[in-house]
Amino acid sequence: MDPAPDPPAADEALAALSLRGADLPADFASAGGGHEIAEEEDEDDEGYVTAASRGGSSTAASRRREEFEGLEEEEEDAYGDAGPPSPSSSGYAGERGSSVASSAGAGGGIEEAEPDPAPPLAPGAEDWARGKKHADEDDGSASWRKRKKHFFILSNSGKPIYSRYGDEHRLAGFSATLQAIVSFVENSGDHIKFVRAGKHQIVFLVKGPIYLVCISCTEETFEGLRGQLELMYGQMLLILTKSVNRCFEKNPKFDMAPLLGGTDAVFLCLIRAFSWNPATFLHAYTCLPLAQSTRQAASAVLQDIADSGVLFALLMCDHKVISLVGAQKATLHPDDILLLANFILSSESFRTSESFSPICLPRYNPMAFLYAYVHFFDENTYLTLLTPRSDAFFDLKDSRARIQDVLLKSNVLLEVQRSLHENVLRVEDVPIDPTSQSTSAPAQSSQGLNSQPLSSDEAIGGPAGLWHFIYKSVYLDQYVSSEVALPIRNPKQQKRLYKAYQKVYASMHDKATGPHKTQFRRTEDYVMLSWITQDFELYAAFSPLADKHTYFADPSDQDMQQSMPVDQGFRGQSVHIRRKHHCLVIFCLAIPSLLGRCMRFVSVTFTNVVCFIHDDHCSRQVQANNWFSICISSMGSGAISHLCGL
Amino acid sequence: MGLSSAAEIDGAQLCIFDLRRGQQEGQELDKILFFHPADCPILLQLSVIGLCEGIITFTRIFSPEDDCEVIESDKHCHVFYQAEPDIWMVLVVQKIKDNESTLRFGALQGILKESHSLFAMFHGPIRTLLDRQPSAEFARGHLHTFITDYLSDFSVGKKLQLPTYRDSLTERGTVQMLTVSREVALEVQSLTTVLGSCLRNVICQSVVLFEDLLVSTTLPMDDTLNLYTYAILRLTPSALSSNGNSWSYLRKGGYVNADTTLSSANGAASAERYNSRSRDTSPGGQNQMHHNFRPLQREKLSKGKDGFVAADFVTTEIRGAVPLNPILWFHQAEERMYLCVYQHKNLTILLVIPASSLINGEEGIAHVKRHLLENASQNIVTVEQKLSRGWGGENAYHVGGYRYILSDPNRKVSRASPPGKVITLSKDSLLALNRLRGEIDLEKSRAKRSDPTHDKDYEVCIRAKNNAWIIAKISRGKELYMAIEKGGETLLYASTAVEKFSNRYCEGAFSTD
Repeated sequence: MDPAPDPPAADEALAALSLRGADLPADFASAGGGHEIAEEEDEDDEGYVTAASRGGSSTAASRRREEFEGLEEEEEDAYGDAGPPSPSSSGYAGERGSSVASSAGAGGGIEEAEPDPAPPLAPGAEDWARGKKHADEDDGSASWRKRKKHFFILSNSGKPIYSRYGDEHRLAGFSATLQAIVSFVENSGDHIKFVRAGKHQIVFLVKGPIYLVCISCTEETFEGLRGQLELMYGQMLLILTKSVNRCFEKNPKFDMAPLLGGTDAVFLCLIRAFSWNPATFLHAYTCLPLAQSTRQAASAVLQDIADSGVLFALLMCDHKVISLVGAQKATLHPDDILLLANFILSSESFRTSESFSPICLPRYNPMAFLYAYVHFFDENTYLTLLTPRSDAFFDLKDSRARIQDVLLKSNVLLEVQRSLHENVLRVEDVPIDPTSQSTSAPAQSSQGLNSQPLSSDEAIGGPAGLWHFIYKSVYLDQYVSSEVALPIRNPKQQKRLYKAYQKVYASMHDKATGPHKTQFRRTEDYVMLSWITQDFELYAAFSPLADKHTYFADPSDQDMQQSMPVDQGFRGQSVHIRRKHHCLVIFCLAIPSLLGRCMRFVSVTFTNVVCFIHDDHCSRQVQANNWFSICISSMGSGAISHLCGL
Repeated sequence: MGLSSAAEIDGAQLCIFDLRRGQQEGQELDKILFFHPADCPILLQLSVIGLCEGIITFTRIFSPEDDCEVIESDKHCHVFYQAEPDIWMVLVVQKIKDNESTLRFGALQGILKESHSLFAMFHGPIRTLLDRQPSAEFARGHLHTFITDYLSDFSVGKKLQLPTYRDSLTERGTVQMLTVSREVALEVQSLTTVLGSCLRNVICQSVVLFEDLLVSTTLPMDDTLNLYTYAILRLTPSALSSNGNSWSYLRKGGYVNADTTLSSANGAASAERYNSRSRDTSPGGQNQMHHNFRPLQREKLSKGKDGFVAADFVTTEIRGAVPLNPILWFHQAEERMYLCVYQHKNLTILLVIPASSLINGEEGIAHVKRHLLENASQNIVTVEQKLSRGWGGENAYHVGGYRYILSDPNRKVSRASPPGKVITLSKDSLLALNRLRGEIDLEKSRAKRSDPTHDKDYEVCIRAKNNAWIIAKISRGKELYMAIEKGGETLLYASTAVEKFSNRYCEGAFSTD
């Protein structure tokens, strides 16, 4: 048994770090200047062209994912050569699964694995080498240093566990340096949070014996990056459970990397999600728009299964939930859904055969494994049944067959595919309010901030220059968001949009001063509006070129006040909703007594007539407060839960 | 557990170190040029500097061109400033438990920048001092007295009280100007002309202040800022009259008094330590190289009967070796100049005379003074009278309903709500404003890095949870921050409020149209 790492060791390491510094500057000089950054930018563009050219064949959702894959300059090539390494039921996961099964006790898997720290991960070990991005790089490579966003996981003894770029083994020295920094501060009874140098930010997260570090020059907020590290940790727990800590208690120099062998793709996929999936910062999940009857059919059959010993039954389409059923009192945290979906979707093997794999839901119980039965019905749609029983495979297999029968009979799978293609929320579909045409011109015809007329590309978007929105129901932990509108469909712009959202989110939810009520923010890229109440959060992005007067108007303008009686106007639009066959439809209404061009987002199922979720609230806002140009309405608290069959 | 970075010391620490020194193992102490508090154990000092150096080196791996700026931990905030190549200043601030975002990096770094600029004005660049005397005795001695005197303004009891969220409507490193009418401007102009000709053949420069506000300057912007800052700290009537602090921080005079002596004592002790080895190597004739040259020492400054502010910088033993009027190094004007301060009521005139033009130092100064009294007295009285007549008092720039700061970083000018009005804001509003300013600071530095020539416009209006409007707007390089607590609840209200303010007080600089 090795002794516990003593503080002097950490100090020595830091001294070593200082010494290294003596010869570093010359090295930096040769490491190159700005031109390499420029190269990366080029790669970005290149990635986009490739992605765009191959887009369109798939569904909207997967197209978007592909585009982002294309955007990620570093990932693309590796995926092109050999598919992502995957934990499979026969390989990594199965190995672990069987060992866990024999240990029976919760979280015992790690100990079981311990005597054989490098299990015969038949494909895993190779995958690691093959799947690792730029494995030939290390901290001495100029290219490695120029990467825009690094993620590291290491142990408190400085052993590398995971690095996004470069081979972990070759980064042992670098890892020791990170450990020295963290430990140095820890030893003084403090905890390091971040270091900032120019555009670089180094964010630290200490989780017991595990240190997580992100080094980024992506201009994301500290809060955002910290949240991403939390998710990385969560993803690690999902694979290993928190009982891995015990290994470090027994042996501080325990090498954890082999336990995660073959799971690079899972982390890469998660890292990619940080730049396109709002769920990563909203802590909410989104549902696939479906007709209520379809969803009810799916929910009913899942409910039957849940009654027979399944903890959670999840029917999902890509990252969107179709239906979710939990056993009594058991609730699934949105982060767990995100991490579970990421785990399943990033592993090719789940798609090819039914799998039974131990997983841990870190928000549900970080100490224990559950067992996940996963089966893909088609390319996008998959069923996940979670149980605490390690011997439930055959029972769950039968259950799946029953579910599949029902889904096929009731055409749910067909509807899901149709929804994927058709039921997308487009801001372009937002009707331009007929009653306000005379009073305020839409953004398309307005002159921008710089007095440049909008180009035809820029002009496409929703009314009033609306480009995108996200609406989160606080109570339901769910969100809906629109498809990105044409002006920001370029993946690079899209990435920038999500960063802008993250910034606004962080600002609105500031720990010391938040949550704020509303925020208006204009940059050269967007106008962002956000609004938080007890019930919901709304974030919307508009064209920066939209004339400010499209949001602001004089509330004392009598003509405008009379032109749109709130409720009447609303009912008028409801006809439109049914006709559109969209599960959720956005409305843009000019509510003149608010601020001129006023947006109203309405979420409804197309089978129902419109009613107001925030009826009182909304009307009060409209009539009494008159303060903000966006108003939300939807169907009553049951509406979104109907959508997802809860 | 001997090497803890800052946990064992209460309050703030400020250290200055030179990475080119102490490269050999065992000589690390040689890196340290200054450390506050001076009585901090050497091991702890080394630990702080070790961490800072380690992080500086580490961040250069990824960011070779940009300096490390800040280390934030749960309990401390280390703020970095590379004052000169390889000479770093680091301010370590202890956080108070429950208020995480009370500090603003930019405001804290402003202290480091300001103290270094002032130091360089009086003593020249630190590197020059080090080059001139590699043993660094003088550099250390001067840094100790100077920075300790500078920090005395922030001392409350034994601790340093640094800017917090309560100072979110102040901007260090800017000049506050007095707006004058055209008629007064002409008078000021003629005064400046007379002042300029105080010495035959050579034009003297001048900076004129009324109360704590700048009226006119003939110096370049950066030099003006330094001199203005010095004047506000020590020379204006309010600075001279109170031993307390004339700076915009509202502090209790009593504490400051007590601490001035305390820090002086510290300074003396540490100077003793640093000087013990080679006390006699001082190159004669250079006032900057003298141990006891302490331009920020309050008690040495007083207004004489002749109206000139006497700078009795010379202490006991060698009176006469140091001129009464210090020679300053003006970085932007690239010239060494004598400073001569004249005060008439609320008008303070800082006359700077090129050192090269005065062959016989003090005698020449005496001549200049005579000339000033003979020729400029009438102008000075007239200008003072006119300015006093038009002066609106300390709340002259208060705008009802608004708490604001308006600044132009390019011209280094700002104007803000009077401190007496700012303190009426609630803590929530100030915290939110502080947080927003921090965020905008980041955006600004990003924009600067990506395209230094292009000013990015930016606008944020937040309706905080206490229903206050917290607003930031950057337009064509100018910045406006404000808090409006008793306003309407529509965004339109906030927008209109900014528009009105902009049109009335900023010549439309922040107006949409």
